[in-house]
Amino acid sequence: MSRAQMPFDPQAITRPDPVLMTYYILVSLLTTVAFPVVIIVLWCKYHTLRYRFDDKGVSMSWGVLFRREIYLTYRRIQDIHVTRNILHRWLGLATISVQTASGSAGAEMTIEGILLAEALRDYLYAQMRGARGEGSPETPADAGDGGDETLKVLCEIRDEVRRLARQRRAEA
Amino acid sequence: MSGRTEHASQWIYQGVWRVLVDWFRVPKEPPTLPVEPGDVIETFQPAPGFLRYLKFWFWLGLLPLDVAILVGWIVLTVFVPWLGILLFPVAFILAVVPDIIVFVALHLRYDTTWYVMTRRSLRIRRGVWVIREVTITFENVQNIRVSQGPVQRHFAIADVVVETAGAGGDSHEKGFQVTNQGLIEGIQDPQHVRTLILDRLRGSKTAGLGDDEAESRPARAWTPRHDAVLREIRDALAAIPS
Repeated sequence: MSRAQMPFDPQAITRPDPVLMTYYILVSLLTTVAFPVVIIVLWCKYHTLRYRFDDKGVSMSWGVLFRREIYLTYRRIQDIHVTRNILHRWLGLATISVQTASGSAGAEMTIEGILLAEALRDYLYAQMRGARGEGSPETPADAGDGGDETLKVLCEIRDEVRRLARQRRAEA
Repeated sequence: MSGRTEHASQWIYQGVWRVLVDWFRVPKEPPTLPVEPGDVIETFQPAPGFLRYLKFWFWLGLLPLDVAILVGWIVLTVFVPWLGILLFPVAFILAVVPDIIVFVALHLRYDTTWYVMTRRSLRIRRGVWVIREVTITFENVQNIRVSQGPVQRHFAIADVVVETAGAGGDSHEKGFQVTNQGLIEGIQDPQHVRTLILDRLRGSKTAGLGDDEAESRPARAWTPRHDAVLREIRDALAAIPS
C-alpha cells in the first residue's frame, strides 16, 4: 500500500524485481526435461537485465555471450501491450510489450519484471504521441515569437539599406 | 424446470467467477485509462448478440461431435450389448463434459472482454488465462476496418479492427502473439466507433509514425507585415544612387 502511494518514478527503475527470478524458476520447472538449460539461460538474462528510463526514451540491455541493447524513444511507440498469465498474476508481475513502426514481426521491447506495471504503462502512455493535446489541430501551428524574429531581421536590413542610401547620397 | 436449471447454471457460473477472481486473480472490474480533464471515458463490452454468435458456432461445432459419439455408442450397443451398457457413462461424459466446459468458457470470454475509449485513445482487455491489454492512441492509427460476415449480420454485430504501424504482419490476432491491431469484436454500433476514430484521424496532421512536434509544424508563413518591410527594402535599394 505504501508503495502505491509513493509517486511513481520510472527513472528509478534500473533492474527487474527479484520476483522475476522466481517467475523464471517456475517457468523453467514447467519445461521439465529442459530445466537445466532453460534455468541457466534465464538466470543469465535476469542477472544481466538492465533498464534505463530517461525523459526521451528507454533502453534495455541483457546478455552474457550475446549482448543486446535496445533503445527506443517514447514518441515512437505505436502501441503498448500488457500481458499477464496466471503465474504473472500470482506473483504480481506483468509483461509490457512496446511496439514501434519498424517492420519486425514481434514487439520491439518486452519489459519484464516490473511490479508497478500499470503505473509504468500509464507513464509510457502519457509520453506517447496523441495521449495529450499536442499534434492536434487545436494547438497553434506557428510559434508566436518566431514570426516576429524574421520581421525584426527584415526591419534591420531595411534600416541598413536606408542608411547606406543616405550615405551614398551624402557622398554624391 | 428450466427456471431451476437456469438458476443452477447461474449459481455454478458465479462460483467459477469467484474461483477465477480469488485464485486466478482475474480482474472483475473493467480497465481504466488516464483521462484528461474535459474528456469522457466510455467503457463497453461486446453486444449480447456476440454471445449468441459465439454460441451459434459452438452448437454448430458440437453437433457433429455429439452425433458421432451417439451413433458410435448405438452401433456398439447393437452389436455388443453388454459393452455398450458398460460404456454408457463414458460416452455420456465424453458427450456432455466438453460442452459444459466450452459453454462456460464462452461466457467467460464474453464477460472478460472490455473496451475502453476516450477521445484520444483506446484500450482493449481480453482473456482469462492470459490477460492481454492493448493501448492505442488514435494519433497512431493507420487504418480502420469494419468487417461483418453473414452470420454476424444475422446477430447484428460487427468487428472493428484498428491498425497501427506497429509490428506484426499477420492479419489475425492469434495465440500469444503480440500484433499491431486493436480488435473490437462483436459490437452493435461499429459506425459510431469508426466515426469517432476517423474524426481523430482526419484532424491529425502527422503520419502517426512518431513524428516530432517540430517536424509536424508547418513552415513559417509570411504575413503582410513581412511583405511591407520587403517592399520597403526594395524601394530603399532602388533609391541608392549608383
